[in-house]
Amino acid sequence: MVKLFGSQKSSPRLDRLHGLSLFVNLTPAELRIVDGLLHERSYLAGEVIFDEGEEGQAIYIIASGEVLISRLEQGDAERFTPAGGNGLPRRRQGDSGRVAELGPGTFFGELALLDNSPRSAQARAATGCQLIIFFRDDFVGLLDTHARIASKISRQLACHLGARMRVMAQAMGNHQHAV
Amino acid sequence: MNYAPRAEHAAPSHAHNGSGPVVWVAIIAITCLLLLVFQKVLWLVVPVLLALILYYFLFPAVRALIYRGMSRDAAASVVTLAFLALVTVAGIGLMPKVARQAAQWQDTVDRYVQGGTLLLDSSLRAMERHWATLERAKLADTVAARLKHGAGSITDHIEPVAFGIMAWTPSLLLAPFLAFFFLRDGRRFKRFLGAAVPNAFFERTLYLLHEIDRTARAYFQGLINLTILDTLTLAAGLWLLGIPGPLTLGLICAVLAWVPYVGSILGGLLVVLVAATDFPGDPSMAYWAIGLFGLVRLLDDFFYMPMTIGKSLELHPLITVLMIFAGGAVAGISGLMLVLPVLGVVMVIGETIGVIVSDPRLMARHRHARALRQQQASADL
Repeated sequence: MVKLFGSQKSSPRLDRLHGLSLFVNLTPAELRIVDGLLHERSYLAGEVIFDEGEEGQAIYIIASGEVLISRLEQGDAERFTPAGGNGLPRRRQGDSGRVAELGPGTFFGELALLDNSPRSAQARAATGCQLIIFFRDDFVGLLDTHARIASKISRQLACHLGARMRVMAQAMGNHQHAV
Repeated sequence: MNYAPRAEHAAPSHAHNGSGPVVWVAIIAITCLLLLVFQKVLWLVVPVLLALILYYFLFPAVRALIYRGMSRDAAASVVTLAFLALVTVAGIGLMPKVARQAAQWQDTVDRYVQGGTLLLDSSLRAMERHWATLERAKLADTVAARLKHGAGSITDHIEPVAFGIMAWTPSLLLAPFLAFFFLRDGRRFKRFLGAAVPNAFFERTLYLLHEIDRTARAYFQGLINLTILDTLTLAAGLWLLGIPGPLTLGLICAVLAWVPYVGSILGGLLVVLVAATDFPGDPSMAYWAIGLFGLVRLLDDFFYMPMTIGKSLELHPLITVLMIFAGGAVAGISGLMLVLPVLGVVMVIGETIGVIVSDPRLMARHRHARALRQQQASADL
């Protein structure tokens, strides 16, 4: 029966998952459950992962490579809309809309795990990268049926969002101070 | 690699229109086409359908074991084996009773048919006494003569039924086998399908697969709930009327009702036959049974069905009724049975594909990704 319920042995794949910040608190048995819910995709440098305004369905975790997060800004629309064009703004790499460049082990698109609000920024592969994808409905299923795993992931998510809020608050404070 | 200066529109890709008439025409046409195909391979469709019902029935147990740390393979094996063991034990327990019944099966069927015929005859003669036109037409004698010549004896019908059961048994035995593989490999299949889709459509595909699973689960679980509600209501009514074996009769009628219209008529006929035979001197009992059956059908159509299956498929009632008729016309009884689940799944696929194809941003992203891959493949040529 002990064997039936699986050994607590780890594997290179589970070790890699354990190294990701979102799953850092999970035990090998819990990681095995989560592993069954994850998808893996590879993206080429320059490939759009998701667009700003798109309905988010999943959270992305970077296994390897780098991802650029950028947001469309009003200035971009004015500078890059060609005269006589169709009026839709272009987004260019390295413009003022650049929000962050993320590396292995980090994750993005996390708000999609909490609600189905539109994506707040665009994600694009900055280099060739391997992404692990966690679909929202699988996460919701975990919340309903395996609260312990879901709470550990939610806690990491909350820490991440808290850190981001602190950075934003700091940035706003600096900005007001400068004004 | 310079990938920046591509002229891509950053319009939100969620800004799309709903399914248009073209998509809906395609959904209905594909549903009818699939029903036609399914009718030709019923030997496979019926076990798959039963396997799906079994899958959604057993899945919560498999998931519970997986979440307690068991591997998916082991959980699927344990649950399927436990189910088969339960069925075997129940079969062995019921075997003596079934064997006793089987010996007198022909007499029982004959007795109930006689009871039904007597009821029909007495009802027609009562009508003749009230309406002179019917008496002049000798309606009761005509119907009795037609039944005698047209229906034949019970033994004429037993042979094809027995051969039908023998022919279908191997196919039906496939159901638990298929259900086991659905339980064990369902998620691998989902991953396999997802992996075959280009990156640009990946999230939508995941959503599509989830919606198909949700629709099918809601349909089959709705069907199980509807069967339980129908069984309990009918059994309670039959028990109040004092008709023997109310639970068995209720269950048989509820399962027959899986076939829209035809199944309900057969179920009603069965209840009336039992009432007429077990209470031969009291035709009012048969009329009460008809009334009860009508009431349960009304409850089923207006309360139970919308609460269970209707809610799961989110179909407009008019489309539901029209598609049931279309299914019956295209593929007969099998069409009546299959039309709603097939329509539900085709609807989800059709609407999602319609949304993807009509979303210029997603298509542009896909073209961009393809160009990048081609560029990479030919970089050192």
